[in-house]
Amino acid sequence: MSGMFDLAIVGGGPAGQAAAEIACAAGLSVVMLDEQPRMGGQILRQPPRSLKVRDWLPGVTYRDLKAQLHRAEALDGLDWRGGVSVLGLFPRPDGLRLLASGRDGRQILEARHVLVAAGCYDMPVAFPGWTLPGVMSAGGVQAFIKSQQIVPGSRFVLSGTHPLQLLVADQLRKAGAEVAAVHFAQSMAAMAGQVLRDPLLPLGHPRPFRDAAAAFANLRRAGVPVRFGQRLVRARGSERLEAAEFADGTTIACDVLATCYGFLPQADLLRQAGCAMQRCARTGGFAAKVDRWQCTSIAGLGAAGETTGVAGAEVALREGRLAAIGVLLSDGLLSESEAEGRAAPIRRELGSLQRFADLLARIADPREAIAGLADDATILCRCEDVTRGALIRAISATAGPEDASALKLVSRAGMGVCQGRSCEHAVRALLAEHGAAPGSGFTARFPARPVAIADLID
Amino acid sequence: MNAVDVLIVGGGLTGCATAWHLAERGARVLLIEAGELNGGASGQNAGSLHFQIERRFLENGPALADQASRVLALNRLAIEDWRILDQQFGPAMEIVMHGGLMVAHSDAEVALLERKAAREAEFGVPTELLDATGVAKIAPYLSPDIRAAAWLADEGHANPRTITRLLAARAIESGATVRSRTRLADVSRSARGFHLTLESGEAREQIRADRVLLATGAATMATGVLFNLHLPVFPAGLTMTATERTAPMIGHLVQHVGRRLSMKQTESGNILIGGGWASKLQRGATSFDLSCPATIDPDALQANLRAAADTVPGVAALNIIRSWTGIVALTADQLPLVGAVSRAPGLYVAAGGSGFTLGPTFARLLAAEMAGERDGDSGLALFSPDRFDHLNGFMG
Repeated sequence: MSGMFDLAIVGGGPAGQAAAEIACAAGLSVVMLDEQPRMGGQILRQPPRSLKVRDWLPGVTYRDLKAQLHRAEALDGLDWRGGVSVLGLFPRPDGLRLLASGRDGRQILEARHVLVAAGCYDMPVAFPGWTLPGVMSAGGVQAFIKSQQIVPGSRFVLSGTHPLQLLVADQLRKAGAEVAAVHFAQSMAAMAGQVLRDPLLPLGHPRPFRDAAAAFANLRRAGVPVRFGQRLVRARGSERLEAAEFADGTTIACDVLATCYGFLPQADLLRQAGCAMQRCARTGGFAAKVDRWQCTSIAGLGAAGETTGVAGAEVALREGRLAAIGVLLSDGLLSESEAEGRAAPIRRELGSLQRFADLLARIADPREAIAGLADDATILCRCEDVTRGALIRAISATAGPEDASALKLVSRAGMGVCQGRSCEHAVRALLAEHGAAPGSGFTARFPARPVAIADLID
Repeated sequence: MNAVDVLIVGGGLTGCATAWHLAERGARVLLIEAGELNGGASGQNAGSLHFQIERRFLENGPALADQASRVLALNRLAIEDWRILDQQFGPAMEIVMHGGLMVAHSDAEVALLERKAAREAEFGVPTELLDATGVAKIAPYLSPDIRAAAWLADEGHANPRTITRLLAARAIESGATVRSRTRLADVSRSARGFHLTLESGEAREQIRADRVLLATGAATMATGVLFNLHLPVFPAGLTMTATERTAPMIGHLVQHVGRRLSMKQTESGNILIGGGWASKLQRGATSFDLSCPATIDPDALQANLRAAADTVPGVAALNIIRSWTGIVALTADQLPLVGAVSRAPGLYVAAGGSGFTLGPTFARLLAAEMAGERDGDSGLALFSPDRFDHLNGFMG
């Protein structure tokens, strides 16, 4: 046993930092665990300390988040543990036990409250050729740039439905890469149509629009073609990626194809613990259901940020604040009215930010763009090499499986090292296509990350 | 009202296999399963085909051990049944019978192995005792600390993820009807057999059945309530773990006589580790809530993995990728509960212990008995539910 804490925070991104700041200020003992060696989360993924980087993530977009990160890193009462993966959460009589592993082996912690703010991950999309080396997610490419100042290729094509790819393309360009094209599957008119459903909304959120517009303008000035209504259908290449092919038959030569269709909540720990979840309709994946203090259905276990539904850093950090205020309230350190008083302005901001996040999610809706992309030979589960055709055969067999967990058992899809993080939404969609009720998805299992037996028993 | 010859409740291995055997004989068979086929212990266990005396029989004193040893007669039949299944179904069931070892670390464990082998000899199970040198020759992957092992050439493993569905498919092809997401809601006796109310979602349906088989595993106690009977099986949560795939390392079923442990490597290369470590049953208002999965107990899991690494040191470096739980059924005397319930003519039950290894045999013998082919002792007499009939003496 290496400690009993008032609050354990899983995830060092904006939500976790915001919660830590409030909890530490109230004198709670707080531990924060994150898989990355340094705090920041994906949005502020930091380079290693040994790497001197001038002008790391410049620009007004990152300014406030960086200020919060610096405050959080300087918190006196915070026990920061980087490079640690939490493998499972286990309810105890007066809190929860966390089983984690890192470079120094196993860690067992207990905490009266646990806040999971584990962020999100790029939505994997299976299309013919998607397992070729050179096909990446836009978020993966961005992580290379942010944390290592590395451009992982020479000629990039970005394709998908999410506006983030404009920002990634612009970051790539600034880092010296050649960006051959940025292709949106949806038409410009469809995107504009979503904005026009709530035309005043962007006025309240000028920054993200300005960022996207600036990236767009930068790309245009640099001669990078940004096109709409260009649906990616295939990655071409023999040993590795050679070109991206689009629905109109055009191909663009590239050595990296970065896809950007949206993000899925990283909620494995909460699903494993048995929290009530809700399905994300557009992207697939499951988000934790939380109450107005960010508490899940399990006592002592909270969730904030993308884990409760992908809505961006600004929403995440406010949810982190609410969660921490909720902890203070439940510990009797704040009265009901004090807590509500502190929460009120945060809730007001959240309301408007959430509407903006909804708009972004509608604009980026990947469903039409990815429907029918995979053919029968396309691998859906890349851990176990299970093709779409094999899954259809399993579904259609006499006495075949009717829900996702049962299909996993007979097909092995989702039984590999990633536990189905990559294929679950595609498997569910396939079941639905075949008239089955896919149910609540694969059963999430301990450990949330693979761990060596030697590390668990030392 | 629809009428069938046999209603089978429970879509696990035993239920599906019995449905197949009865349908092949021309019986009108309806099998219902409350959830998904193979959703219970039949699909959750780790697929051991173990025919030596189980360690759990040895840890509760000599009297129970003697009694439980009598299950060995059934084990001998089960060896044959699995070989026949392998011939009938081919590689899809991934039945591998390359032998199994029950190992011993200490002097006391070696002595226990010897006593165990003597009992097995008595019942005609050809276990062979190996010393350290013999063990190292057969199974060089085992720890050099292993002092001895009991070797049984017929042991092995099979794929629990696929077998039940293959049996269900065969049952359907033979004419049985199989309905998942359908539960037994109510029962009353009729002149000849039973009136039963089935429920699927909102829909209810009345049927008549001459005979009913309850193959409901850990839920058998609850199913018995519908018949106003105590069918005394008790739930127990177990934990199993899979490593990442790795090159062939463990060619046998490996068990330990002194510690809870079972290990084998599947056709896909994953090593499965289990052996009877507890998971935690969920508590309902007045009993265990079997509708919720049991939860992992991290201490039990670590102890299980420690036993695995002590026995096969090579696994320590492997990553585990998944631990899961299942709920099995146990009886007071450790023997399965299989056969006709005399107090309720037409009612049969099959539950309570080693249901994967013994399931095909339960199914074959039960089908013969239910079809009226019983000729003397079918082999099931020892497991008759009537041994607990005194519990039902006041049930009216």
